[in-house]
Amino acid sequence: MAVKLIANYAKRLGLPGYSSHQFSVSVETELHDVTDIAGESQRLYESLQKAVDDQMQQTGFVPPDGYGMNGNGNGHGNGNRPQNGDAGISEKQLDLISRIVRENNANKAEIENMAVQMFGGGVRTLNRMQASNLIDELFEKYPRRNGNGNDRSTYQRQPARA
Amino acid sequence: MNVSPTNETITVPPGDGGRSIDDLIASVSASRLTAFLQCRLRFYFRYLLGLAKPKSPALHVGSSVHAVLKYWNRSRWRSEEPGLRQLHDIYSQSWAREQEGEPVQWEGEEDEEKKAGWRLLETYFRESPIKPDEKPEAVEVTVEANLASHGLPRLVGIIDLVRPGGRIVDFKTTGKTPDPEQVAHLTDFQTTGYAILYREAVGKTESAIELHHLVKTKNPKLVVTALGPATETQQTRLFRAMESYVAGLRRQDWVPSPGLQCASCEFFAECRHGRGIN
Repeated sequence: MAVKLIANYAKRLGLPGYSSHQFSVSVETELHDVTDIAGESQRLYESLQKAVDDQMQQTGFVPPDGYGMNGNGNGHGNGNRPQNGDAGISEKQLDLISRIVRENNANKAEIENMAVQMFGGGVRTLNRMQASNLIDELFEKYPRRNGNGNDRSTYQRQPARA
Repeated sequence: MNVSPTNETITVPPGDGGRSIDDLIASVSASRLTAFLQCRLRFYFRYLLGLAKPKSPALHVGSSVHAVLKYWNRSRWRSEEPGLRQLHDIYSQSWAREQEGEPVQWEGEEDEEKKAGWRLLETYFRESPIKPDEKPEAVEVTVEANLASHGLPRLVGIIDLVRPGGRIVDFKTTGKTPDPEQVAHLTDFQTTGYAILYREAVGKTESAIELHHLVKTKNPKLVVTALGPATETQQTRLFRAMESYVAGLRRQDWVPSPGLQCASCEFFAECRHGRGIN
């Protein structure tokens, strides 16, 4: 009966920009001399390691500094894209502010003034962080009223998400 | 329930107040990440089982002090300058409110602790580098970053204050005067996390990260440690830690990390008596 020796060598190396690459090679060979398992293993290990190392020197695409951050086009894919540039107030944040206004019969001009007082610009000029803070203020200004459940648990909180 | 350190065959349902592994993997804050890296068994008790423990006096003081600082920072948006009496009222209200739902393990020292917390605030208002007319960019703002493109959980956090020009500020209460070098190291994940969150939500790089330590010594003092913007290396290290967090949770790795930190661990008894460990 043939005795088989199965060997696998895998390596993973870190690369800049929070990336890494990995490669593995597997072989299955028939062992002719069952008394020399150690020797055959050593030969296979050296051979596989060299094969993997040779290939891994080709790193392929390596992300540049800042890749994947600040909305540089890598696609965050959460369906929450802002309309005023990559970090502008998101549609969901705008929707939430509109809902608070609507359900509390709030004065839109007053909310615009709040945004100006806090951040020096109107609602649509805010970035996501400022919009999140404005929403916090609106929650405080229009707290829960008995019966209509007008609180944070009613409104789905929209933090400054990317 | 029994949990072994390798724990290959046991599934862990959320306990009372606990959370599921899927939930914990979906998003992570720097503080939860740090909790996991410090001791996985403690993390398991706290987050998976949701074991409730009385709040420590130090944590309660910190929460109440934070509430006053939040009020003070927000008042500058409205161009208001609250007086000490008004701020003390806010402090007292917060002190009472913060322990309504979460009892504190007082050992007869509540009054002393309350006074000590207020002295910290008085010191801060006297020595703060923040001018009364300085408008914040943000105050205690909830932010999150979707890192799915990196194969990582959503990073979430609350930034205490952003000063003009993108200076991120984190307030800390402590009983010991911080060493700048040590503090930079110990808060590395937290400050880097804030930097990532800020960049994602604002679209530009922070100019600095300031740690405002309110030091609860006999004579309270304020120590401000200013750090530069987070570097690429710090960011990579945080991402690696998040990767380790996900992998550890997926394989239900709850090995304890016995060490000096056990002396102040709220789950010392459970750990010592083997609860949760085969």
